[in-house]
Amino acid sequence: MEQNVDLTVDFAGLKLKNPVLTASGTCGYADELAEFMDVSKLGGVITKSITAAPRKGNPTPRIVETDAGMLNAIGLANIGLERFVSEKIPVLEQLGTTVFVNVAGQMIDDYVQVAERLAKEKAVAGLELNISCPNVKQGGISFGTDPTQIRDITKQVKAACGHKPLIVKLTPMVTDISAAARAAVEAGADALSMVNTFTAMVIDIETRRPVLANRTGGLSGPAVKPIAIYLVSKVYQEVARPAGVPILGGGGIRTAADAVEFMIAGAAAVTIGTATFVQPDTALHIIEGVRRYCTRKGLTTMNELTGSLQ
Amino acid sequence: MEKEVGAGHKGSFTAKVLSNQQIRECYYRLNLKLDPIGSRLFETAKPGRFVEIDLAGLPLPPEDKIPPALRDAAYRQILLRRPFSFSDVIFVPGQNGPCVKLEILYCILGPATLRMMTLAGGDTLNLIGPLGNGFALPDTLKKAVLIAGGMGAPPLLHLGGYLKRHRPEVETICFAGAKSCEDLPFTLKIGNLTGLVLEEFDVLGIPSLVATDDGSAGFRGFVTDCARRWLRDNQPNPGETLVYACGPEPMLAEAARLAKEFDLPCQVSMERMMACGIGLCQSCAVEIKTDSPGQTEYKLCCKDGPVFDSRNVIFNL
Ligand SMILES: Cc1cc2nc3c(=O)[nH]c(=O)nc-3n(C[C@H](O)[C@H](O)[C@H](O)COP(=O)(O)OP(=O)(O)OC[C@H]3O[C@@H](n4cnc5c(N)ncnc54)[C@H](O)[C@@H]3O)c2cc1C
Ligand SMILES: Cc1cc2nc3c(=O)[nH]c(=O)nc-3n(C[C@H](O)[C@H](O)[C@H](O)COP(=O)(O)O)c2cc1C
Ligand code: FES
Repeated sequence: MEQNVDLTVDFAGLKLKNPVLTASGTCGYADELAEFMDVSKLGGVITKSITAAPRKGNPTPRIVETDAGMLNAIGLANIGLERFVSEKIPVLEQLGTTVFVNVAGQMIDDYVQVAERLAKEKAVAGLELNISCPNVKQGGISFGTDPTQIRDITKQVKAACGHKPLIVKLTPMVTDISAAARAAVEAGADALSMVNTFTAMVIDIETRRPVLANRTGGLSGPAVKPIAIYLVSKVYQEVARPAGVPILGGGGIRTAADAVEFMIAGAAAVTIGTATFVQPDTALHIIEGVRRYCTRKGLTTMNELTGSLQ
Repeated sequence: MEKEVGAGHKGSFTAKVLSNQQIRECYYRLNLKLDPIGSRLFETAKPGRFVEIDLAGLPLPPEDKIPPALRDAAYRQILLRRPFSFSDVIFVPGQNGPCVKLEILYCILGPATLRMMTLAGGDTLNLIGPLGNGFALPDTLKKAVLIAGGMGAPPLLHLGGYLKRHRPEVETICFAGAKSCEDLPFTLKIGNLTGLVLEEFDVLGIPSLVATDDGSAGFRGFVTDCARRWLRDNQPNPGETLVYACGPEPMLAEAARLAKEFDLPCQVSMERMMACGIGLCQSCAVEIKTDSPGQTEYKLCCKDGPVFDSRNVIFNL
């Protein structure tokens, strides 16, 4: 007889429908994606980074394709807090899935201002703190590479979040990612998101210039997956499991098998990014694939899968 | 009940290859037949819109078919879809609504277009579309001046055909330019009055003029200079004339300047590197002037464009 698989996930005090979310910066404000799939079937969506003031972003080219991946240097282009609240929150309210808003800034005060305002919104289930964007000169990754700064910013933003859970998104561009994870957890992070993109460069050999206008960009897509798997499994063993803090894992996920791999490594839920560009409804296929895997393996809950690495 | 996805907007669908013909050294014409979902989506598709095609699963052509200049590029893996305009959309009536045939003209440039060479009748492709805004076609339009540079021709060919079918009162003329005659994605023939013309426009009854940088066919020089000469001689009325331009960005900037000289509005179809084509990633930014003097903002080529009013565009030169 076929067992029923319960795909729901308890995540930082929230109940997600299933462990599959769309990653920040790869699903817009979710409204565009709604034309291609029933967004309410997702475990959740994470909006692109919101900053206090609107940001135009970097000049073009902002992306370049590489073997099994792509580089992006969007530069946190977004409509800013006020327009986000007035134009996008009403849309997000209608999605029927759990909404996380990704928050970015240049100074801690910017992050706190955005977090305070968004925490008041019923449509926002939780916040994801982006201290790992490689494509802005100040803020971003500079916060994410120093444990002292991670502690500081996490503490202050957590205080601004009220009762809403705070996910801290880590950069892989550090020598000891567990130290970064520990700093975030000790300062009150309710969950860890990992990993953001890897700083990289592509050179046009005809012009001998970097292809991206920003010179460097963040590498995402299938190329980063094995590194991301390793980092998730390391942080899970060394920090997340002992502290009882869930991991939102991602980096290069294209198939249900990839998602399952992240969960075995220690992720409580996963994010789909670059793959959505190729096939907008990838996340839905992955949800069904995870269900099939669990059925085949006789697993009935997601807890049995998370961290089941032998 | 399953939500109906994409009806009347844009969506993901499959298309069957009807034919894939080489028309020049590096140019091919691909004819596709859309499935019912795609056909429905294309019922209202205006000229100037585009599709994103998933080409990652296609094999490389045999070694001896790979142009030497692309030997290195051939071995690059592809991941992202590729954007293509269409040069014609044909509605074939059927019992369950029309079936749509799409014609795409493409140029072999890199790993994805190289793989497209291998497409043959019966193959299937996955497409997303129709995307973008398309050309503006105001009711006041009486004269359409099309300026095509290199591979910028497909959407203008579609526009020409569309105007003939739906707005027969509009007088259309086409200027097509390229580096040399080999780089024109069209068939050249000798016309009765104007000398060299383009077969594809001629059959639509649209006069055409050819310009090549090296003078190997038609006017020697830039296509915009060829158009300038004609505009000087003909002085079209600004209230009822529109310039439509598609091609490399420096050519578009030149077309914008030309239109300004004659006080004509000009629609430019822009290209940007696109990761998604559907407004998710913000990779395809085009800098646009805002209402406040001296201020600009980025608009998305895939969603707000690819067609923009040339007066507002800050060109990337
Ligand atoms: C809206 C739109 C409509 C298009 N319509 C057509 C069409 O009808 N027919 C056609 O042949 N091509 C069209 N293109 C261009 C086409 O998408 C590219 O030629 C194709 O992606 C090349 O892929 P590749 O892997 O073969 O080569 P790549 O290695 O990806 O590219 C080869 C060269 O082309 C440049 N390039 C690639 N993509 C773009 C882009 N989006 N904008 C500007 N430069 C680019 C690259 O910088 C590189 O120098 C269109 C592009 C856009 C944005
Ligand atoms: C075009 C693009 C834009 C992104 N923008 C953001 C962003 O605004 N904030 C953020 O925290 N991460 C951003 N990311 C990172 C993704 O959320 C994700 O962490 C990363 O791409 C790895 O996952 P993937 O390989 O599945 O894409 C972006 C990624 C891409 C490709
Ligand atoms: S290509 Fe992704 S937003 Fe335009």
